[in-house]
Amino acid sequence: MFTAIRPITNSFTVKLATGQGGVWTSVRRMSVRPEAPSPERADRKKVTLQHLRQLHATRTAITMLTVYSYPSARRADQADIDICFVGDSLAQVALGHDNTTRLTLDEMLHHCRALGVKEALATAVRLVKEGDMEAVKLEGGDEVVDVVRAITAAGIPVMGHIGLTPQKHTSLSGYKVQGRNAQDALSIARSAKALEDAGVFAIVLEAIPSLLAEEITGSLRVPTIGIGAGMRCSGQVLVQDDALGVWGGGRKPKFVRRFAQVGEEALKGVEASAMAVRKGQFPADEEAHTMPQDELNKFKDNKRV
Amino acid sequence: MLTAYDYPSARRTEHGDIDICLVGDSLAQVALGYDSTTRLTLDEMLYHCRAVARGAKNPLLVADMPFGTYQLGPRDALDAAVRMVREGMMEGVKLEGGEEILDTVRVLTGLGIPVMGHIGLLPQRHASLSGYKVQGKNVEDALSIARAAKALEQAGAFSIVLEAIPSPLAAHITSSLHIPTIGIGAGAQCSGQVLVQDDALSVWSAGHKAKFVRRFAQVGQEAQRGVDGYARAVRSGDFPADEEGYGMSESVFDKFKDALGKEGESSMMATS
Repeated sequence: MFTAIRPITNSFTVKLATGQGGVWTSVRRMSVRPEAPSPERADRKKVTLQHLRQLHATRTAITMLTVYSYPSARRADQADIDICFVGDSLAQVALGHDNTTRLTLDEMLHHCRALGVKEALATAVRLVKEGDMEAVKLEGGDEVVDVVRAITAAGIPVMGHIGLTPQKHTSLSGYKVQGRNAQDALSIARSAKALEDAGVFAIVLEAIPSLLAEEITGSLRVPTIGIGAGMRCSGQVLVQDDALGVWGGGRKPKFVRRFAQVGEEALKGVEASAMAVRKGQFPADEEAHTMPQDELNKFKDNKRV
Repeated sequence: MLTAYDYPSARRTEHGDIDICLVGDSLAQVALGYDSTTRLTLDEMLYHCRAVARGAKNPLLVADMPFGTYQLGPRDALDAAVRMVREGMMEGVKLEGGEEILDTVRVLTGLGIPVMGHIGLLPQRHASLSGYKVQGKNVEDALSIARAAKALEQAGAFSIVLEAIPSPLAAHITSSLHIPTIGIGAGAQCSGQVLVQDDALSVWSAGHKAKFVRRFAQVGQEAQRGVDGYARAVRSGDFPADEEGYGMSESVFDKFKDALGKEGESSMMATS
């Protein structure tokens, strides 16, 4: 059961998971804990669908970032990220599975086309009710239109996802850019329109040519959120771990930019802590507690008896 | 020993040559944002254990038994511990407490489940102890803690965490045992040390730093810098650049636009 970020952030939360809400922390004095006073940022207004529409109307780029834990959600809030997305990329980055389809339904209720409309709707309801999410995202085009209609009819906002859909990577033989020939491009463009008609509030465009993404974006009323789709989308999304360089090795996809080197910094810290302990340098006296001498003497006497 | 709660943090203990990787119930606060470790359920803990186990192969894997899973007696504790080993893929479990949990420790170790003890400050009991204060500063408490250490060793624990007790007391206890002690806020005379990884890496930039924590990195700052940088780059139109997107041959694009145009016409004709 994935217990994940509670929207204690002001970002709009979109998720594909179930879980329980967390409660805001109080200070634990024996260790570091997050900022103590009010967690909600008073200077920031809650992001709603309306706000997203405004951003889209004024051509202000929408920012979306994946999160999978409390700290990653806090960071997104601090940076004024518009949409916080609990992506099933967490299967790999957080849980160490070798691909996103390994998530079990227990760990993460993600929508499968294999589910019928009724089951999909029930899943979405759970995500919203138990997962404290505000919307769900579904991968697929024409084939998920019925499901999208059912979920939006139930009042749950739906974000679409077309182009490269990671959940289908086996059938697509890998993570290859989609829509490079006219036929595929048409199919993707058609899906976008169909999803809009079915009621999605936004659509993720993944790994398609920038020109195609631009064309699609111009043809829709709802915003597009791109990843590997060029900068003419209404907004962008990245997996937070990729953007922050949590993974030192591994191939970097061309559409990822490293905005920080967290992996390096964190490993440096772990190695330094191990060295300091092994050398006897940590903890120093001021990092430990004393005992009144007379109490210590009494204790020692007692033990000798 | 260092805590981990997911795959990346576990990988770091692997790469950083850490001896014991502890899935600590501090994850309730640092990973899940709960207000106390006592909110963590066994299912939640198992979820994190599995992720850690996928990341750390060489370090010994130990996990905290969540509050409530072992207080009701040996039978309940056994059920929970078995799940942690079987489903959570852990190699040992840690329990907080002294004399009052000896039966439970004996049952677990008797069945071959390695148990790490934890005495001194017991975070799961912060409510009844009115906070997180250093323990063992007077004789009675000190004696009680020292006795508990010996009893846990006799009950079969393979090591004991000493938390927030005076260094001389920790030194004395350490030398009186055959098994190793792992200290946190207990001074340098313990057999080993443990920290919460988020504290050691300063994942939380604000907030109070306990005296026994040392910052070995500034991950929080680095991560926030990254997220801020991303938001700025997107909003200013700087990201993505052309080379961070995919091209399409002009001829193909033209064909696509033609076809799109024809579709538009035919649908208009259909509706008119």
